[in-house]
Amino acid sequence: MRRVTACGILALAAAGTACRPRNGDDALLQQRAARLEQALADSSRTDSSGPLARWIMPASLAEISGLALDSSGRLFAHNDESGLVFEIDYRRGVLLKQWVVGERPLRDDFEAMAVADGRFFLLASTGKLYEFREGESGERVPYTVHDTRLGNQCEFESLAHERASNSLVLICKSMRDREIDGVVLFRWSLDSAQAERTPVRQIISLATINGANDWEEFQPSDLSIDPVSGNLVMVASLQQALAEVTRSGDLVASGPLPEPLEMAEGVAVTRDGLLIISTEATRTAASVSVYRR
Amino acid sequence: MGFFKSVIDVVALKSDRPIRRLVAYYALLALVFLALFSVFPQMSMVFSGERLDELSSAPQVLTDGLAPGATEDNAVTLPSQVQLGLSTLLTVLGTLVLMLPVSWVYMSSRKSRVHDQTIAQSLLIMPIVVAGIIIVVQNSLALAFSLAGVVAAVRFRTKLDETRDTVFIFLAIAVGFAAGVQELMVGAVISACFNFALLLIWHYDFGRNALEPTAAAQWKEPLKDLALKGAEGVPDRDLAMALTPDKAETLADRFTRIHELLGSEDRKPRYNAILHMSAKSSEEAQKRVEPVLEKVAKRWKLDEVVNNEGKPDQLYYLVRLKKTASSADLITAVRTRAGDRVSGVDVEVTDELAKAGTNGKNGKNGKHEKNGKKE
Repeated sequence: MRRVTACGILALAAAGTACRPRNGDDALLQQRAARLEQALADSSRTDSSGPLARWIMPASLAEISGLALDSSGRLFAHNDESGLVFEIDYRRGVLLKQWVVGERPLRDDFEAMAVADGRFFLLASTGKLYEFREGESGERVPYTVHDTRLGNQCEFESLAHERASNSLVLICKSMRDREIDGVVLFRWSLDSAQAERTPVRQIISLATINGANDWEEFQPSDLSIDPVSGNLVMVASLQQALAEVTRSGDLVASGPLPEPLEMAEGVAVTRDGLLIISTEATRTAASVSVYRR
Repeated sequence: MGFFKSVIDVVALKSDRPIRRLVAYYALLALVFLALFSVFPQMSMVFSGERLDELSSAPQVLTDGLAPGATEDNAVTLPSQVQLGLSTLLTVLGTLVLMLPVSWVYMSSRKSRVHDQTIAQSLLIMPIVVAGIIIVVQNSLALAFSLAGVVAAVRFRTKLDETRDTVFIFLAIAVGFAAGVQELMVGAVISACFNFALLLIWHYDFGRNALEPTAAAQWKEPLKDLALKGAEGVPDRDLAMALTPDKAETLADRFTRIHELLGSEDRKPRYNAILHMSAKSSEEAQKRVEPVLEKVAKRWKLDEVVNNEGKPDQLYYLVRLKKTASSADLITAVRTRAGDRVSGVDVEVTDELAKAGTNGKNGKNGKHEKNGKKE
């Protein structure tokens, strides 16, 4: 009798959980996607017209730190302090899935993420790279650690995969060597074995980045590589600015963000010309905003 | 706590009915929550269900940030550790206020008069522990296995006497689980539904075996015993056996009154006689008799008026005669003053009652009116 009662209660509880109303609403999502397409097609819209879409992140992504697109255009985001990775449908505003790096959520000061042919990399500010695979929703995936040994040179903040060189591009936020005036980036090849890897350093001077602007510093908080042009698009949270440079370091464009955004910690550029910027929670909730470039 | 009880009294219109009091409690709880929520919107964290979402594989639709007010509504201003501490505290408090009525129901809706105090206390404490475990374990398989290992090592199995107790324990676990995954609303609904369902089941004695004696039938055995006790029992056996539960209740009340009249052995009784009379109109008889009692009795009280359809009313007074008056004086005075308004005037004094035991005034059928006056 007791057993039957207990099983009955557990079954009811399980059924209640399974039947719990979800937020899924196909009509709403279709409406959102259509709205974005319509805004994209509207030629009268300009950069100053504001974002095409903005999605509020849940509390688990309050400290959303980096964005990354894979080769098929899927958007991924990660948390600042724990190894939680999320896939976001930025067109419809849906958190598609989330998985965990490590058996317990990995803890570090994660600053950026990159996806290279199915290989996921999380960059810690110390220059450590955590490599892992894509997981199913709720899955815990194992990881391996690569120490770039660059942590003694600078504090890292940005990471992206450069298809042309098949390397990860790491950008420093602040150099230990204060003499260097500009943006320092390293290319960490994915072709060679780890022992043979020697990161290649490149410096882009502040004067180049500045262009017509008069920033005293430009400290990138995230990096994305335009899948069409291969240019490097950097966002700087402190300066609330964007800069686009070629692979060789020539300035394409630089200027303020499309709108004032605090704590813009992530950037991604899509193949169809969308600029996606994520902001950490401050006085307002964390969000992902979509702009037309 | 006293203030809270007073508020519940007011909301429940001072009713002692458990369902009304429960409704009052939950209504009050909802009001308090709404008030707090309007001041501290961050409280929504204990209802967000995000820990459940972390366990779930279902996609989550994000809030549209371009909708008016969306960004402000979701503003997060507290550091994550403070948020964690606050949400844990709210979770613990939430489980407490949800389990409090459950423990009340546990203690009150029982067949027996006793309940297991340790279970009543566990009902309050266990959900807190469960919620804490869920928060700590999060969705870690490794931690869950570790927990299972620890539990297996501790072996704190306790045998519960009743299936019903097990159900309460399961409820405590369910509420703790709900709170732990930030779904306190689910816990609230479970708690409320459980309480009301249990009270209704208890009230209607649901599931009683048809072969088991009803509550009314349970009167038969004690009455049978009473009727079979010969000189010490009820002299009219058929009358005793014909009593309905209501009438037996009245009889028990009568016994209680006689017991009060006789008093305990070590204390002087407050009254020493019962004045009994019949009257066509009890009101008329009262008007005539009570001035007499004022004169001859030190104190008196109208104990009972029995109205019988088609028959004279029966009046019973508890009386303490003055030392200067005897029972005969009382009878004479009543007959003189009341005349033909009363008949069959009789006085039983304490000694006679003591001899007669409890078979003095039983078996009165009809509608009872209780009335009284004290000097």
